[in-house]
Amino acid sequence: MEVLVNDVRKFYSNKLVLNIDKLRFPKGKITGIIGPNGSGKTTLLNIIGGLDREYTGQVIYDGKALTQGIYRNMTLVTQKPYLFRRKVYENIEYPLKIRKVNKQERIKKVQDIIKRFEIEELQDKKAHLLSGGESQKVSLARALVFEPKLLLLDEPTSNIDPESIKIMEREILGFNEETKGTVLIVTHNIEQSKRLCDDVIYLEEGKVGN
Amino acid sequence: MNYIHEGFKEAFKLLIGFDKEVYSIISLSLLVSTSATIIASIIFIPIGIHLGIKEFKGKRFFSRVLYTFMSIPSVIVGLVVAILLSRRGPLGHLELLYTPKAMIIAQVLLVTPLILGLTYSLAKSRGKTIEKIGLTLGAGKFDIIILTIKELRVELLVHVVTAFSRAISEVGAVMIVGGNIKGHTRVITTTISMMNSMGDYPMAIALGIVLLIISFAINSIIYSYSGED
Repeated sequence: MEVLVNDVRKFYSNKLVLNIDKLRFPKGKITGIIGPNGSGKTTLLNIIGGLDREYTGQVIYDGKALTQGIYRNMTLVTQKPYLFRRKVYENIEYPLKIRKVNKQERIKKVQDIIKRFEIEELQDKKAHLLSGGESQKVSLARALVFEPKLLLLDEPTSNIDPESIKIMEREILGFNEETKGTVLIVTHNIEQSKRLCDDVIYLEEGKVGN
Repeated sequence: MNYIHEGFKEAFKLLIGFDKEVYSIISLSLLVSTSATIIASIIFIPIGIHLGIKEFKGKRFFSRVLYTFMSIPSVIVGLVVAILLSRRGPLGHLELLYTPKAMIIAQVLLVTPLILGLTYSLAKSRGKTIEKIGLTLGAGKFDIIILTIKELRVELLVHVVTAFSRAISEVGAVMIVGGNIKGHTRVITTTISMMNSMGDYPMAIALGIVLLIISFAINSIIYSYSGED
């Protein structure tokens, strides 16, 4: 999915926090968004993800404005993921259930992604009782299981162990390669952006910098 | 002191001997209050969640009005329902006054603000996060309400039980719209009230014990469900 951000302005109590004239995220590419704290990275991601509607300007997805159909084809993984108060397996299954995927296919897809993320031993555990690193992996697995066309990641690997980071980066790259899904990743880690991204944009005080 | 002792002895006799009148009163109480709680919960839990999550004009004022209605006296509810259902009232042709149906209607109205208010308050504080995650995973409006109910199920169950407790323990509304007619609309609380004024304590004590047992059983279920000790 290609994303175009046109003349987007966002104010928080009369303060301009995002001021983007034009920005294009090409289809099938991984774009990193870096910048200091408070530069508007998360705000931009929330606007693209449709969670923040109070802004001026336009966000265009494959030539169209945001609709329920587009919602269904994108997802956002946050820095502090919220997992449902049910088993890990059921958390990962949820996006497929609401898309009415048949049971056999659901089982196959969920088992496959659980294996890929190496979280087999967690699948019967209550998700809201997991550690930070485990939660991040489950949250990413839940986001990837329905193969979205647009994957938005807000510092998905902050404060987790190197082994988990390795698995998550591998799966983000794998997802992009296999499905040609577009990925936008907010990160503070320059090395990570080098490992993952085709392109990087720098945000400073709500504007795209050099 | 002897009459209290005798009262308890007689009360246990009535309960253990499966006294027909006592058990018909208990059954009707459970039927009326359970029906009212279920009806109000099915309708107003989803509405409470929707209103709690949604931002709308006048939400603060709405909250105040709703929270005020949560403590509405049961006699006022009974009076309103009685006026509506009385022979000369707008719904008099339905001939529901002094029937268990009228008692259910009154109790639905009584527990609705409680269920709606508690659910609304819960959704206001915790529903937004659940809605956000639901949206990021592609959930529609209906999916989000179902998801929120499932996520907040323990808290919602406590709210439902709170509403049931209010329904089964109130006297005013069921007395006014039911009329406390023997074998027809007599429930635990109206019987206790009547027996007390008549000085007939054994049945009042027996029914009081049953009310306490019901309350204990419900609380035990909640605690075991929510995993507390």
